[in-house]
Amino acid sequence: MRTSPRSVRLDFAAPVHPPRLAGATLCAAGLAAALAVGVAFDRKLAERSQLDAELAATAPPRRAAPDPSAARNAADAAAIERELGIPWIRLLAELEAASQDSASTVSLLAVAPDPGKHLVRITAEVRALNDAIAYLKRLQRSAVLRHPMLESHERRKDDPEHPLRVTLSAEWRT
Amino acid sequence: MSPRWRDEVAIYLAPRKLALVRRARGLRPRVVAETELTVLAGNAGGIGPVLSTLADVLTDPTWQGAAARAVVTDHPWARYGVVPPPPARLDAPARLAHARYVLGDAHGDAVADWAVTLADTPPGRPCVACATPATLRTALEDTLAPARLTLVSLQPQLVVAFNAWRRRLPADDAWFVRVDDGALSAVHLSHGAWDRVHLARLSADWSVELERLEALGRLTRPAGAEGRMLVDAPAWMRRGAAARTGIEWLDEGDGEASHVCALLRRMAA
Repeated sequence: MRTSPRSVRLDFAAPVHPPRLAGATLCAAGLAAALAVGVAFDRKLAERSQLDAELAATAPPRRAAPDPSAARNAADAAAIERELGIPWIRLLAELEAASQDSASTVSLLAVAPDPGKHLVRITAEVRALNDAIAYLKRLQRSAVLRHPMLESHERRKDDPEHPLRVTLSAEWRT
Repeated sequence: MSPRWRDEVAIYLAPRKLALVRRARGLRPRVVAETELTVLAGNAGGIGPVLSTLADVLTDPTWQGAAARAVVTDHPWARYGVVPPPPARLDAPARLAHARYVLGDAHGDAVADWAVTLADTPPGRPCVACATPATLRTALEDTLAPARLTLVSLQPQLVVAFNAWRRRLPADDAWFVRVDDGALSAVHLSHGAWDRVHLARLSADWSVELERLEALGRLTRPAGAEGRMLVDAPAWMRRGAAARTGIEWLDEGDGEASHVCALLRRMAA
């Protein structure tokens, strides 16, 4: 039961919906929180600046100037490491097996590895181009090599049997 | 809405009367100055003489640099209407147009170009509407500006007096009457809200008006009903009519303060 009449909020200048206390409180709390975060951030910035200054004041360890002979030695060591990394035994065994599978229609002339690229270049002579292609297909089935391809072929006219000299290349698997 | 710590100057404006009360705010608000003046050049309708007097008063630094809350007398600068709830939900402009129609129906073309505002009322309930002369607010703001007074509130006297006394009023079937400056404003309460508003000018013989008040109470009360009439009137009128029956005088014990200044003091911050 109402004991007194309701107030009449009627005004020609002020809004009849005054901001509620809860809204004002929430706004104040938000401002206070923002202020607290700002103060904390400012302190952290100051702390970081101080740490940076202390770090800058500390003498950094001097690095020794690079020695040219040491650099050369390192390069040589890397080259030797790469040479030693070539799987010669497996590679030569695979090439020998491939030659045997080709019924001696392929005569290997040279095997030149490129350790930097993991690439082996094979020079061989065959009687006909089909023999070279068969040899290539045999190498493509190899587990030691990958991406074998025919780089060039040339008919040797200075040879009385006119063999076909082919150059193949393949990467070896490590 | 003014900041809680800013001083406030409450200003009462009537054709022949001007009153100001300055209140310092803060943790312990207190009245620091008050004055009441008669506007000699005042006439029945014009706002000019009282604003001219106000401008003179505001040259005193006592009244400068504050938030201003103005109260205008009901007669002749306020007209009321109780707007019934519309059958359909209306937006703000439509509610205002509806209120303007109700006020025009009650008070005629005189209020056609007046400024109208509505009380904040829950939907589905009658709403109090009030109209004041269109130029009143801007003229008042122009007068206040040189004294660094910001108008934060402009209310009619009956609304201010009602809100000041409402905790002493019954919620149902009662008249609240405010008498001042040669005029009477009365509002009838029903179910805790206004349902009728009556304004009248008073003659020089105030006893006649008291009889009219009593007659008004009898005539507006249903047969057999025990309606009450609570009157907020100047002290001299209360003393002269103490023996009368049927009227309950509202007296807050304001001491030597004038009736108008007492109202300004009681204004809600």
